[in-house]
Parts: sequence; structure tokens; C-alpha cells
Amino acid sequence: MRETIAAPTPGLDLSHHYGHHQAAAIRAGGLIFCSGMVAVNPETGEREHGTVTSETGRIFENLKLLLESAGSSLDRLVQVHAMIYDRIEYDVLNRVYRQFVPNAPPARTVMSVQIEAGFKVMLDVIAAA
Amino acid sequence: MPLATAIRAGDFVFVSGVVAIDPASGERMHGTVAAETRQILTAIAAVLEATGSSLAKAVKVNVLIYSMLEYNNMNEVYREFFPEEPPARTVCGAGLSGGSKVEIECVALA
Amino acid sequence: MSRLSRTVIEPVNPKLNVSRNANLPHSPGIRVGGYIFLSGMGPVDPATGGRNLGPIAEQIRQTLRNMGHMLESAGSSLGRIVKITIVLADIEDYDEMNRVWREFFPADPPARTTCALQLSNGNGVEIECIALAE
Repeated sequence: MRETIAAPTPGLDLSHHYGHHQAAAIRAGGLIFCSGMVAVNPETGEREHGTVTSETGRIFENLKLLLESAGSSLDRLVQVHAMIYDRIEYDVLNRVYRQFVPNAPPARTVMSVQIEAGFKVMLDVIAAA
Repeated sequence: MPLATAIRAGDFVFVSGVVAIDPASGERMHGTVAAETRQILTAIAAVLEATGSSLAKAVKVNVLIYSMLEYNNMNEVYREFFPEEPPARTVCGAGLSGGSKVEIECVALA
Repeated sequence: MSRLSRTVIEPVNPKLNVSRNANLPHSPGIRVGGYIFLSGMGPVDPATGGRNLGPIAEQIRQTLRNMGHMLESAGSSLGRIVKITIVLADIEDYDEMNRVWREFFPADPPARTTCALQLSNGNGVEIECIALAE
């Protein structure tokens, strides 16, 4: 059973705003696979470039909206690829990150990659449904 | 070099990162981002079908590209392969082996 | 469909619990339903907990051995890995990585993706995986 999870708010429909040919998330086999999430305004879809701290905070808030609309939650995250523009901000990332997953955090790999639109952070996550 | 590895596990099929391979020679194919993307998705479709799955059953795709400047070239070809209800996807720029410009992995429902 | 259960996996050898030892916001692994997702692992010395930064082949071997220990701590094994992602600090190490890879997965290897990214602490390699629980 493969089910497309629609963006819960208009701003999170990145396919519509930016031509990203992707579902916001897919539920299958008891898991929820989310497309890479970046710091956009969940109502307007406007890009919110900022610091690693502000972008990460916005991303987690967007993921919360998305996962909760699908019956899941941040504490059911199982795997995160924490994509960052430069590993030098690793400690900054950790400080804000831990606030959102304080207990039994998901498995994580931090990956320094080139992210779309010059964003500093992108989170690529899988959650339990 | 193997064309693609697909591993069936529980409800899912996990497909290895695939780079563009020339089917005649079995060697890496170096081309434009568009050509490499087309070759890769064609190969992934074949390996999924061989396991009884399909691109339509893909749930998550990860695209690695040598430079995000070429995102549109990848995306325009990518759309052709997922005409409706595309899977979740993450695209990022990373260093790839052997001079390949694109590498794609995916998870599909079995 | 009933919800899948989600539990934290920790290694039997506490020296390999980098999440706890370095106070990092991740679990060494998460078991969910029939799957195990492991956090990225590097070449940690299981005797001291320090980094083993020798030649890349040795770093990869150490990391894969540690991964074996982590999976066995949860009742799984390297042989039950379905998907593995190998990150190299230097893409030039690709061929060497492939040689070591065959030592650990001589037949029926899991699905694999390899790429080159910046890594921390002078590590030459970081590896994560998804495995079947049992």
C-alpha cells in the first residue's frame, strides 16, 4: 500500500512552488518517507534563508506539521540525513537539533552537501507511521 | 561493474545508487546530466520490474548530482519517468565516483 | 494497520556508543517494525573509544567490524543489511573501498550508494545502513 501524503499547508507544496517533481511524503509499509525539507514558510512557500539555527528550527516545525497531518510525529522519526552546507557548523546544528528530538532521538548521519537555492540545511527523514 | 543491485526486504525493495552505464560495454557512460539521468532511470525501472516492482511503486528517491547548478537538466528528464503521484525525493550536490555526474538510489514497495 | 513499534538500539560494547560518549543528539540505531536504521559510524577503536585513523582500508574494515557489532547487539548482523551508504572524505579512495567491500560482502551484497563529502575528525569514511531486524 503506497499512499501519497499531501502537503498539509500550501507553503509546503514544494512541487507547486518550485517545480520539484516529488510528493511531500509517501506512506508505505508502516513508514513515512519525506522529501528533503528546507526552510520555507509553511503558508506562503517563501524561502527563509537564515542561519543554521533559524533554518533548522523552521525545517523541524515544517516536518512537525507534515508528520502530524499524517498521524505521526517528530518523536517517531527513525532516520535523519542531516544535510548541511559545511561541516564547520556541526556544533551549531547540534544545539538546535537536540531541542526538537530530546528523547530517544532517531538514527542520524550528517552529510555536507550542496543544497538547493543556497540553503544551509536540509533534513531528509523517515518516520514510523 | 554490476548494473544495479536491488534487495528485497520485507515490504520494500532497496536499489543501490546507480550511475549511467553503457549497456553495450558495461562501462560507465559519461554524458550530459540529462543523458545520464535518462540512462539511470531506465536502468532502475528495469531492475525494479525484474523484482516484480516498478517505478510507480517507488516511495523515496535520492538523487546525488555533481553540481546543483544542473538541477533543472536532471529534473526535466526525471519528470518523464514519474508521470503521476511521484515518490518523495531528496536532491543534493555531492562528489561522485569515476567522473559520473548523477547517481540515483531508491526505495520501492515490493 | 497497527503502528510499528520504535525502540533504541545500543551497542553491547560501550566504547562504541559514540552517541552517548560524545553527547550527540542521535541514537546509535533505531529498530522499527522489522527494520533497523543505524546512525553513521566511523573508524572508532573498540578497545579505547578513540579514532583509528590509519590507512583508508583499515578505517573501512574497522568501521564495518563496528557495524557488525552494533547489529549483533540488536540480534541482527552484517549479512542482514539491505541498504548501505558509504561516505568517503576523498573519492580517490573509491577503488580501495571496493576491495575492502568484497572482503566483507563476497556474495549477495546489499544495495549500496557511495559518495564523497566533508567528514569530521579526520575520518576517511562514514558508513550508515538499513538492516533487517531478524
